Amino acid sequence: MPDPTNGEAVESTKRRRLLGLLGGGAAVSLAGCSDQEPSDGSDGNDTDGEDGSDGMDGEDGEDEPQRTNADKAQAAWESAVDNPLPEDEELRQEAYIEMEEAARDDAVLIPLYHGLTELFWYDYVDVPLTGALGKHWQQLNTTTVEGQSELNLINSTFDELDPIMSTDTASSIVITQLYENLTAFPNGVPEIENQLLEEYEVSEDGTTWTFTLRDDVQFHDGTEMTAQDVKYSWRRTVESENSERAGFTLNQPVGLGIDAETDDEGNVVPDSLAVEVVDDQTIEIQLVGPNPDVLDVIAYSSFSVIPEGYVGDIEGYDGEVTHQEFSTEVANGTGPFELGEFNVDEDVTVVRNDDYYGEVASVDAVNWEIIEDSQAAWTYALEQNADRFEMPTFAYEADAIDAESDDRGRQVGTYGPAGELNEEVNYLGISEISTYYFGFNVSNTQQAARQAIAYVMNKEQIIQEVFAGRGTAAYSFLPPAIWPTGNDGYNSFLDEYPYSLGESDIEGAQSVLQEAGITPDDPVEMTLTTYEAEVFQTAGELIRDLISGTGVNLSLETSQFSVLQSRGEDGDLQMYSLGWIWSWPAVPYGMFQLEPLNTDTSTMPTETNGFYLDWQTELNEEAE
Amino acid sequence: MSRWEYFVKRLLLTVPVLFSVLTFLFIMLRAGPIDPVAARLGPQAGAADRAQLRERLGLNDPLWEQYVDFITDFLTFNFGQSWVVQAERDILDIAVGAAPATLWLGFWAILLPLFIGIPLGFYAGLNPNTLGDYTASLGGIIWQALPNFWLCVIALAVLRRTRNDGGLFGFDWYTLGPDFAARDISITGTPRLEWISTTDVLMLPVPYINDWTALAIDIKLILPPAIILGSASMAAELRIGRTAMLETVNSKFVETAKAKGLSSRVIVWKHIFRNALIPLLPVITSEAFLLIGGSVIVEQIFNINGLGRIFFQALTQGDLPMAGALLFLFTVIILGLNILQDFLYTVIDPRVGYDQ
Repeated sequence: MPDPTNGEAVESTKRRRLLGLLGGGAAVSLAGCSDQEPSDGSDGNDTDGEDGSDGMDGEDGEDEPQRTNADKAQAAWESAVDNPLPEDEELRQEAYIEMEEAARDDAVLIPLYHGLTELFWYDYVDVPLTGALGKHWQQLNTTTVEGQSELNLINSTFDELDPIMSTDTASSIVITQLYENLTAFPNGVPEIENQLLEEYEVSEDGTTWTFTLRDDVQFHDGTEMTAQDVKYSWRRTVESENSERAGFTLNQPVGLGIDAETDDEGNVVPDSLAVEVVDDQTIEIQLVGPNPDVLDVIAYSSFSVIPEGYVGDIEGYDGEVTHQEFSTEVANGTGPFELGEFNVDEDVTVVRNDDYYGEVASVDAVNWEIIEDSQAAWTYALEQNADRFEMPTFAYEADAIDAESDDRGRQVGTYGPAGELNEEVNYLGISEISTYYFGFNVSNTQQAARQAIAYVMNKEQIIQEVFAGRGTAAYSFLPPAIWPTGNDGYNSFLDEYPYSLGESDIEGAQSVLQEAGITPDDPVEMTLTTYEAEVFQTAGELIRDLISGTGVNLSLETSQFSVLQSRGEDGDLQMYSLGWIWSWPAVPYGMFQLEPLNTDTSTMPTETNGFYLDWQTELNEEAE
Repeated sequence: MSRWEYFVKRLLLTVPVLFSVLTFLFIMLRAGPIDPVAARLGPQAGAADRAQLRERLGLNDPLWEQYVDFITDFLTFNFGQSWVVQAERDILDIAVGAAPATLWLGFWAILLPLFIGIPLGFYAGLNPNTLGDYTASLGGIIWQALPNFWLCVIALAVLRRTRNDGGLFGFDWYTLGPDFAARDISITGTPRLEWISTTDVLMLPVPYINDWTALAIDIKLILPPAIILGSASMAAELRIGRTAMLETVNSKFVETAKAKGLSSRVIVWKHIFRNALIPLLPVITSEAFLLIGGSVIVEQIFNINGLGRIFFQALTQGDLPMAGALLFLFTVIILGLNILQDFLYTVIDPRVGYDQ
């Protein structure tokens, strides 16, 4: 049934789901990788501390005359992976930027935009500003509401409260209030801090980490939190059949890389995960190789601590509650709130934990009404039934924003009164750590044609047309918030951007095509496959119209997300659209997909799990 | 053929209909473009996981065996588990949880048109070509032409603007009747339906209403979506009611009744009314079809957690067993209503079923 008013809601639902898939997909494929190829080292999952591209070792240092961008990217990735110790930080930063430059110069991946979150809240609410990681990292115990005893918010649909099952932001928003990790990114600001952790020690080779836990932490049922609970919780991430994030525990560099034994079928042998309880307050983990991002990774929600033996889905435990109950009915964490009531698809309530070891919440409870439709959500917000909310684009007036950039690059200020909102509310605009991009299968496309598309693409215009300006134009795969060399480094990367910044450079496209001998009389045919997202479809139409007549004939097609993915894995795409969201703000968690050897579609999704680029075909330094 | 034979015949005819629907669903689920294993596991699951799930779902069995299992499962309301929308939860549990809200919405969406559309139509039919007739008829046509999704959006926009003493509209929907503003209740959302209890009278549980305020809140909450959902059928009832009335008024038996000197009240209520109801009956029962289709959009926009919204989610997220099970339930409901319609026909109109 055609329903224009619902289009947006459907769109946003779909988008969220897709992103869930993206994040989930990565983990699943990683898990698959470790399951099936536990020791062949094809993807940095090996135990000998090397980078895993065994076939190439010894060759990457040599500078051959015809060094391609792919060679440059491969060498850079390997040097980053080979130097994981803290003192090599600078070297790694440079390597990642080299990878960015290689991808940019070869135009194998053209970023389109970084997501922008805009939050609005009424004046009677005092809530800390959230950071680039998103509001689902924010514990609401420091939020105060004037004149009300409860905080009321809006959330999307979700159906699980088990931290190891959660792959979407809707459930993490609630899980963050109930459960805690050893470390955390308070308020989603990309700066790691201790949560349940008192202090840590790293061995000299960077593979043994010793964590000392706080000794004053209790679960909601009153029992003390100890090292045994941490071990049990982390074992669940790899041994439970419910876990969707085993890869984050087992793999390196996109995960912790804790050592574990696997059986013939590739499953982790029960209780073989190298997590050792030293005493009640101390735990020691053994990694397969040094990992600079350990503290970042353990902040991810799947590493949340639940009481030992609470659920019986791993060997040796009967469980106090069934997994079904644990998913939606009960919770027992260390967080500042306890679970009140969860009516799937209707509402969720958490109530204050009065025995919280940190700052006890000022509100009695937090309620989330679960709303998918943007009309209903906007009504709910206007009624002041939601104290903090997001704004649907149909109600949004960019002129009503009065905000200034703060030291973290966030837009902070006020909005309104505008439209139906007849009072001034607080405003926060944050560029997220996510990137939506066009990718190219290198073996099916010509470099000049790819570059021509980069020349004609006016990202600002596309964002303006589709999102009413609510997005950040992207010129690099890595979002500015986690750019390895900071804000200045990002700006100089922008200064060197060879294609068009904020305009459509058709002459540039023509000249690069002419150099490659492509003329309008003998054009190159290319197909752009997008999933069902308005932004990519509109962008595709704009690009097609701009580039026609220069020598590239672009045709557009839309396919289902899952179809696009499986075609990508088959190497059956030319130009396509996808997105990536960082689960923690570490550069390699994202960059691994640009490692040319990892973009080999012929071995996806089991051995390789990069972008669908087939960039390895451009490697000259590999003996073929 | 007696009228009861006719009724039984109609009853038997629903069996092949039900089977063809089930067969159609089976083909859609098994031969459609969405692979059940991929939809359940996500696109990047390992080959071993896929094979295991394929076996567990019984997809390696012979097709006829799958068909028989499918039919038996559905006929015994054993729908299995949802894949995506509420992954791993029992579909029947989800449907039973969501059904009361939809029933509450449907109840009012049928009741309101009945008590607005039919009296207006009869009034227009009794007073043809007067100003009142024109107003009612024109209003009916416009009302029928307005699409539900548009009405929903406009209704929300208008109602939420009446907050804090109305402004332009002169009334405050929030404080009218049960006070929503003071209770922090939104005009969108799912009715709680917590005002009903049961008490045992002579060992039998008898429902009674224990909280009249909660009942009033639920009615007020459901009124706007129910009026919108019933709007199309209200207009249809108005127009058919008018025509039926006009036809009956001009028929010979009315003339005879007049000639006998009956009072006009008796003529209208005893003779015209009953006969005019006959063409209205299929309109009223076929409303159920409109309601089920329409509730998908209305529930989505008014954020009512009912069958329609779940159906919408199941469709947009590729949750095939959920969408299939709901479609089956909808089919059963519509078939049931058709039988009810035939039953009422045989009661109201004695001519039904007799050979000419």
